[in-house]
Amino acid sequence: MFESIEEVRERLAGQDYVCDRRLATVVYLAVKLDKPVLIEGPAGVGKTELAKSLAGAAGRSLIRLQCYEGLDEAKALYEWEYGKQLLYTQVLREKIGEVLGPTEGLREAAATLREQEDVFFSENFLVERPILQAITSETPPVLLLDEIDRADEEFEAFLLEFLSDYQVSIPEIGTVQAEHAPVVILTSNRTRELSEALKRRCLHLQLDYPSPEFELEIVRLKAPGIGEALANELVETIQDMRTLDLRKSPSIGETLDWARSLVVLGAPNLDKDLIEETLSVIIKYDRDAEKVLAHVGASPRRKDLGQRDPTGENPHEAMYEMHRSTHKHTH
Amino acid sequence: MDTVVNDFVQVLRRHQVMVSPAESLDALYALEQTGVGEREVVRDTLRTTLVKNSEDIETFDRLFDLYFSLRPTAEKRTAKLDVHDHDHDHGEPTSMEFGEEAEGEAPDSEEHSHEENENTEFRRHFDEGKMRPSENIHGETDKMRLSMFSQELLLNRKPGALDQALQRITHQLKLRRARGMFSPGDLVTHGDGGQELPLDVSAADFQGLVDHLHDLDVDESLIRQLEEQSEEILRGLPQLIEQMVERQKQLEKKQDDSALMRRSLRKIFDYSPAEQRETEAAIRRIARQIHGAKTRRLKQDRTGHISVPHTLRRNVRYEGIPFNPVLRRHHEKRPRVVMLCDVSMSTRNMSRFWLHMVYQMQSLFSKVRTFVFVADVAEVTQFFEESSMDRAVDQVFSGRVLDADVNSDFGKAAEQFRNEYLPSLNHRTTLVVLGDGRNNGKEPNVEALEDITHHVRQTIWITPEPKWGWILGSCDMPLYEPLCDRVEVVRSVDQLAGVAEELVKSRF
Repeated sequence: MFESIEEVRERLAGQDYVCDRRLATVVYLAVKLDKPVLIEGPAGVGKTELAKSLAGAAGRSLIRLQCYEGLDEAKALYEWEYGKQLLYTQVLREKIGEVLGPTEGLREAAATLREQEDVFFSENFLVERPILQAITSETPPVLLLDEIDRADEEFEAFLLEFLSDYQVSIPEIGTVQAEHAPVVILTSNRTRELSEALKRRCLHLQLDYPSPEFELEIVRLKAPGIGEALANELVETIQDMRTLDLRKSPSIGETLDWARSLVVLGAPNLDKDLIEETLSVIIKYDRDAEKVLAHVGASPRRKDLGQRDPTGENPHEAMYEMHRSTHKHTH
Repeated sequence: MDTVVNDFVQVLRRHQVMVSPAESLDALYALEQTGVGEREVVRDTLRTTLVKNSEDIETFDRLFDLYFSLRPTAEKRTAKLDVHDHDHDHGEPTSMEFGEEAEGEAPDSEEHSHEENENTEFRRHFDEGKMRPSENIHGETDKMRLSMFSQELLLNRKPGALDQALQRITHQLKLRRARGMFSPGDLVTHGDGGQELPLDVSAADFQGLVDHLHDLDVDESLIRQLEEQSEEILRGLPQLIEQMVERQKQLEKKQDDSALMRRSLRKIFDYSPAEQRETEAAIRRIARQIHGAKTRRLKQDRTGHISVPHTLRRNVRYEGIPFNPVLRRHHEKRPRVVMLCDVSMSTRNMSRFWLHMVYQMQSLFSKVRTFVFVADVAEVTQFFEESSMDRAVDQVFSGRVLDADVNSDFGKAAEQFRNEYLPSLNHRTTLVVLGDGRNNGKEPNVEALEDITHHVRQTIWITPEPKWGWILGSCDMPLYEPLCDRVEVVRSVDQLAGVAEELVKSRF
């Protein structure tokens, strides 16, 4: 698929994905060694985007599995289509009668039936979920297991067999092995630690916010029409903000949103007022906004960003905050 | 090449970066793919295959720089050799590498193990030396450092050949050294003692090496290369030995500077990776008990196993044709853990461990709410969710969430908790209290805790003090104990693992 690390870089750049040598090396190795890649890093640094661009660059289809709590093998690997099985047994009732007609006694009938039973446990009645799809696909696709940290621990265990051998064992049929290994990319936001077993099977890549040069390049590429001066100022400001102790640092996605908004506004360059007016694009929490404004020197002004931080003084507020942010507790 | 990678993996392991054999194999395969031409590519390759925890990346980078960088340092080469020899003679623990290599061998074969070690070490320096001219010409230090790999690769095409040849050089050196050993003071007093070593090997022995290589039918060009660079190698040998010793020492001892640079508080909470892993394992086990247990009852769902009785019943209207299957599955109990952690002065030394435990709990399981208390209660769930361990702990003690310097008052804290957070508890909640139950003579307020325990499924109290200590001073543990389902004494990771074990047993 790729012949050199440089080629990976070029082809990804062809998909408007700017990456450094480190990332290209990992992708190249993943393809060459047929190993899954586990990408960890904060939200919005282009983890998911990498999988999409890679699929584009390699001219392969992308199969995406968004992980969530409670995701099980029936949703990720395969499932039997019970309804169809039952329907077939009913439709084929007469035929079954015919087959069993000449038999004598129950024992023989059962034996005859047993010979036929794999008809009902064949691939015909199997609903392929993303992972099985990736294995059986004619051309090996790029499989993206997004936000694997959201899935339960047990789900990681389901994945182990697939990740190490690119196969899935279905008790009724046997083992389905991929003829050509798919490129597998797992992403994690590190909301929890993944198991060692999973990590061991993957190449590991830690993605962080990009360097100013890379970010500038990304902005130029993804927000065409932005002036050189503005782009420079914008990236500088964003990089500066990331050094602050914010609840949610602005990600690349937000940088791009900001760049595009500024292009729409037709701003020639960035000044304090403009930052203040457009801050809601990049900063999503009230308290963060105050910090940023204090930092850039503009007067902090209350803004309604639709969300408020709990101050800890009011229990109802805290409860509301908990409920809103996590939906963990029902009362 | 595999020796180099293996050796490097050993170094990583010694610095508590867990690398499985499968991973070092991956690294070898990966290097085959990327080649070893560029230092940064090799670094990226090794990092992606060997390092799986982002905390370890820093360690890896440091060790990588250290391991794969031998630059000639002209100054400061007095008495270094002595240190080396000293370690050799007495088997000091600082020279772990030697100790390890000698492992499993008879004590009297120590000499032999030295030789082996020396051999691999020398191969590295030897190769290193070969590339030195190119450094002088182009001034590209990076290229030079990487040479090790490319040379290894080159040499590996004739496995064994150069090994043997080098063994001979090493052997010569060893003889010299062995003689020196009888008078250990020698090398210190005579500053040029080190130089004497390689000069002795030079002319005749090197010719011997070249002949030897000819005998072994090695690639002509390789030999020519060796010949050309032989002078360089020999001239550089004393420095190389010294650097080797220096580097060895650096690799052996852990760098503390980074820890020192951290703020003092953070340093207290500095957990070794091994401890971290142990805690994590123990907590995973504990949490599996309080959490995730499947209900016995089956509920209808869109997925699950087919239920024959239900299917038959539902399909009576289709003349018993099972047209509409009923699927059922076990539903998981919604796990709810509420942690109440004492961060007062009296338990400050334990807080490090507890907060770590809390952090682990929260990072592993999503349904955990955490409160800290001294005299007031404050919820800190978010800190642990959003920040790193260190920052979360900083925030807890920053004084912004609560006054951490007053005397602890569990009675008041329980009262406050009851008033504010009772609705968030229910019959599926497990309450974990981390505290010593010392109220400094204040009202124990047993009713408040009783009220709370009535609202939860079970209460586990984890205290650092053993039971006999409760009667001393103003400890209200005897009052609280009957209200709790379990009271566990946990002071260390070991004990935590013990509790995990207990909980597992109690279930079956």
